[in-house]
Amino acid sequence: MSLSNVLHNWSHFRRDREAGGHHDYEHMWGMVVDLNKCIGCNACSVACYAENNLPVVGKYRFEKGHAQHWMRLERYWDEPDIGDDKVAEYQQYGANFMPMNCQQCNAATCEPVCPVAATYHTPDGLNAQVYNRCIGSRYCSNNCPYRLRYFNFWSYYDSSWPAPLNMQLNPDLSVRDKGVMEKCTFCVQRIRAAKDKAQMEDRVLQDGEFNPACVQTCPTSALVFGDLLHMFNAKYDVPESKASQMWRAHQVELGKPEQHKQNPELRGYRVFEALNTDPCIMYLERVREV
Amino acid sequence: MSVTQYSSLPCVPIRKVGTEHSGSHRVPLISFLIVALFAGLVLLPVIAHAEVPNAIPPVGTYDGEDVKQPIEFPHNIHADVNKINCMYCHTYARRSKVAGIPPTSKCMGCHSVIATDKERIKKLTEYWEKRQPPPWKKVHDVPDFVHFTHEKHLKRFVFDNEGMPVEHVDEVCAFCHGEVKKMTVAHKVKPLNMGFCRRCHEANGGPFDCWKCHK
Amino acid sequence: MNIDKLKRRDFLKIMGWSGVGTTLAGCDLPSTVTLEEGKETVTSYMVPEEFVIPGIGVYYATTCQECSAGCGVHGRVREGRVLKLEGNPDSPINRGKLCQMGQSGLQTHYNPDRIEKPMMRKDGTLTEVTWGEALDLVDSKTGSTSGLSGDRFAMLTQTISGHQAVLLDAYLESIGSKNHYVHEVVNNAVWRQVSQDMLGDASPRLRFDRAKVILSFGADFIGTWVSQVHFATEYSHFRTSPRGMLIQAEPKMTLTGANADLWLATRPGTDGVLALGIANILVSKHGKDISGLPYSIQQLIKSYNITRVQEITGVSGEHIVRVADVLGERSPSLVMAGASAEGFEHGYETVAAAMLLNIILGNVGETLESGGTFPFPQLDTRTGNTSDLLAFAKAAGEQRLDVAFIYGANPVYTAPDYLGMKEKLDNIPFKVSFTSFMDETAAQADLILPMASYLEDWGTHVVDYQAGEGLIGVQQPLMEKLYPETKGFGDVMIALLKMRNVPAYSQYDDYYAYLRDAFTSLPAALKIQAGSEKVFWDQALQKGFLTVNRTKQPLATRTVAINLPEMSQDSGYPYRLIPSARLGLWDGRHANIPWLQEAPDQISKVVWDAWAEIHPKTAAKLGVKEGDLLKITSAQGSIEAKVYIYKGIHPDAIAVPLGQGHEEYGRYAKGRGVNPLKILDPAVDKKTGELAHHATRVQVAKVAKPHDNLVRFGGSETQVGRKIVATVTADQYERTEGGSGHVA
Repeated sequence: MSLSNVLHNWSHFRRDREAGGHHDYEHMWGMVVDLNKCIGCNACSVACYAENNLPVVGKYRFEKGHAQHWMRLERYWDEPDIGDDKVAEYQQYGANFMPMNCQQCNAATCEPVCPVAATYHTPDGLNAQVYNRCIGSRYCSNNCPYRLRYFNFWSYYDSSWPAPLNMQLNPDLSVRDKGVMEKCTFCVQRIRAAKDKAQMEDRVLQDGEFNPACVQTCPTSALVFGDLLHMFNAKYDVPESKASQMWRAHQVELGKPEQHKQNPELRGYRVFEALNTDPCIMYLERVREV
Repeated sequence: MSVTQYSSLPCVPIRKVGTEHSGSHRVPLISFLIVALFAGLVLLPVIAHAEVPNAIPPVGTYDGEDVKQPIEFPHNIHADVNKINCMYCHTYARRSKVAGIPPTSKCMGCHSVIATDKERIKKLTEYWEKRQPPPWKKVHDVPDFVHFTHEKHLKRFVFDNEGMPVEHVDEVCAFCHGEVKKMTVAHKVKPLNMGFCRRCHEANGGPFDCWKCHK
Repeated sequence: MNIDKLKRRDFLKIMGWSGVGTTLAGCDLPSTVTLEEGKETVTSYMVPEEFVIPGIGVYYATTCQECSAGCGVHGRVREGRVLKLEGNPDSPINRGKLCQMGQSGLQTHYNPDRIEKPMMRKDGTLTEVTWGEALDLVDSKTGSTSGLSGDRFAMLTQTISGHQAVLLDAYLESIGSKNHYVHEVVNNAVWRQVSQDMLGDASPRLRFDRAKVILSFGADFIGTWVSQVHFATEYSHFRTSPRGMLIQAEPKMTLTGANADLWLATRPGTDGVLALGIANILVSKHGKDISGLPYSIQQLIKSYNITRVQEITGVSGEHIVRVADVLGERSPSLVMAGASAEGFEHGYETVAAAMLLNIILGNVGETLESGGTFPFPQLDTRTGNTSDLLAFAKAAGEQRLDVAFIYGANPVYTAPDYLGMKEKLDNIPFKVSFTSFMDETAAQADLILPMASYLEDWGTHVVDYQAGEGLIGVQQPLMEKLYPETKGFGDVMIALLKMRNVPAYSQYDDYYAYLRDAFTSLPAALKIQAGSEKVFWDQALQKGFLTVNRTKQPLATRTVAINLPEMSQDSGYPYRLIPSARLGLWDGRHANIPWLQEAPDQISKVVWDAWAEIHPKTAAKLGVKEGDLLKITSAQGSIEAKVYIYKGIHPDAIAVPLGQGHEEYGRYAKGRGVNPLKILDPAVDKKTGELAHHATRVQVAKVAKPHDNLVRFGGSETQVGRKIVATVTADQYERTEGGSGHVA
């Protein structure tokens, strides 16, 4: 870390902020989760286990809260907006399902607090976690308002993958050992592979060419994944992705802690955005007919 | 115009003065002075392997052990004497992340007729007849949390490199694998650690994003 | 520059800690710390296919076998190992999607508890033997020297179809037996019978895309009914503008119920009454014409006025009217009935009442269409049910069987205790279990023939619910067998047929050879122009399925007699036990898959356990809170389960999930939770003979003894006022995204 480096980065930083930021991004990966379509089936969660070498921790450790479900499906019973289920005798409007994975916040609360900079923001708009750099201080998961960071309290290799289960492990990413923080990566190994392939073929990455495991398997296509870079880089000359179109249609913008929509009835919203985390996942409000 | 410097001193981070992104901006004076100071300390041959244009080779050496292989495969006979292109055997290098050990059928392609009286060929034929691949030992390895793609590096230094003849691809391979054609069994002569990769990326404009290489 | 505005993250960025990183790891330290030379072996290929490149995955198509829906699968194979399963985008059944059970096929395949070699019972214990010995034993018990007469031989299998079924039939014929029992716990046998009787088609096609309203009496089509992934995709289109309404009526909330706009808790067994009550209002208020129906039916509908229905079902009059209004105003609609409607002694009539609604509403021909007849009956599916299990148990109990082959069924686990399956199986002197795992039935078998997993095996499959077009799903191995001593079911059938010198099969070495040969006749049969035999075969394997024309007939609109009994109360056993299937463990067959054990149940979010669901009113009555141990006793026995309390169940019902309570079946399944099937009452549906799963009466009491905790996926049951999941009304949705304003 030399003085010249500091000075160079400082001038870079000044220019960046004055011009409104986000200029050097190559992509801005984001997602849309349509809660009208999400049926709560949990296929996304199991697909994530399969793709990302997630350990099965067993009942005892699950109870302690050591489960490693990067994509988890929350289920709430109440109806805060449309009806008062608290006094009703039955759960007449069903359940509120909420798929939750790392929101890849642009203003992530986890990034600045890592003592060794093992987590940072990539030029792809992802919140990266470098496993071999992590020293396990767990400050990042402490800071995450969504509780989406999972710590490897144990070394699960032998207990979770007795032979020949270990033959299923995905060689495109590591198997994390004790003491390392991990979280959803938007299947960065698939992103990387698709980008490499496009680069080798000298072409631009197309929308829909690849998807994270959860998005690919969702039976109702409630999850949509795409490049949001169009939203603030009008010169991005790639056909706009479906996800970006949806963000635009629901008038949700990145970089704002509060949306002021022209049509406030549009369903798009981001969870806890008032905390100024600037997440890259937009949820579409659940619909019920009353 | 951008000026790139690197240093051979260990543990000094590489800093680049000026970047492709920046357009025009003034180089702070102090940076210029520091650069000038270090200019005289540049030791390594900058223009070593003249056959690879547009490339500054990586820096670093490592004294690897000789790895005992099931058959003492002589790279010198194949690559130097017979001038077989590296990619003839390690054919996957240009299309995949791994260069790959050639399938035994490739060896037998020649050695079903060539040099069949030699000890090593006899041993190879034994493996072939038993339909068991020889248990080669891995010489060049990176940790599980590192993602290295051969194909992209070949694209940059060979196929998309103007003026780079494909027949000389062994010069590019030598960047990381050393002068394999002078070896019998390959052994490691470059450290292949992060500093080694970083310095070459720095010198040649490779990516810096941690998640490009760490998984 | 404004120092005040400098935030911490920016400071670190400037200092070079963002994106560039420091070079602590890059120093030229001795690299033996992290890098290894000469330790790993690199295995090269021998003669690889040209498309196999190490480091790049190759995708192969096959058909999933984790349930009987038959979704198309693309498996990613790298270096000879299958690593990940995805849906086959071309398959009209699942259109590129896969449920959690499909994803878990990998763990069935790589499961550490697979049986690797044939096992024979010698002196009471199972010991490993060779296939030669195993098949010799089979020959001695079934061959020409055994003296076995055909009617004393039986096969009990799971739902089976395709060329495996052809071989099975051929084998049965060679033995001279007609005893093929097909058994599935999670089935829709009563719906099939009603559909056959009333519509003339046992498996009508359901047009979700045309329906404006879906009324489901316990049919968990999003979770466990018929073809989950297919229906889930259909459902998502159903919910896109113009948005359809889903009403679910059942005693315990299923996954489909959790997604309903209106969920009605019906008293167990009264779904039929509710259907007739809705019909009553449709006639009286919405002028639906039922003059064409038999007089008895007209009178029946008239007799179920709203007061009577309200009292019987426990559903409020307001809700009954609402449902009738919605059905009356929006057309076409779709009415379905599932396990909670079928599972009573009057199950057939309950489902018939629901089907009657379809007829009254004019849905037949609109949202219910002919599923069509599959043109090759020898390949067609033999669907499983529970009446076959009862027949098998009866035959075994009456000592009418000398030899039984059991494949894909686990009757010792799935049969209720009253059947005495264990003892009855002892009556069969020679039992062969075709299985990959040591389940409860295999533990009692005399011979175990280890099966290859579906990812290692060949096959063809014709599923019950065909999504419009007819399909023959093709199954091919995605990798070499993990254990060379396992065989596919088809392989064993060929070997057995050859042993019996059945001439048609003597030329085949194994199932693969037979399939290759069978495929040569398919192009002509399917009336397609194919190139050479090899081209046709390769194309079939690449696509993963073959399309077949199914002849469709218009559906009939017949009625059947409906006589719904009075639901009596038994003061000794005041509650009804609901053994509920869940998307995940299914009927218990997936309890040995760690991913599925760790995936929380969708409704209760419990992991690695079984539980008893009760309503808060019931909890108050019993004085229990969440996690307390409850003893649930029927006249047949009792089970103990920890309590989960929520409002998604009728106060008269106790729901215990299927799937746990295994006494064998591997390290992940054994000794975990309870199996509600054990204490089922001997009740069967009068018309179809199906086990009446939901009819069991129980009493419950709190048990005060130390027990482990109920582990649930944590977090709060409520959002405590935070906007985590926000809900809007359908009106608002249509305003913003309906019609021309339709977003993506």
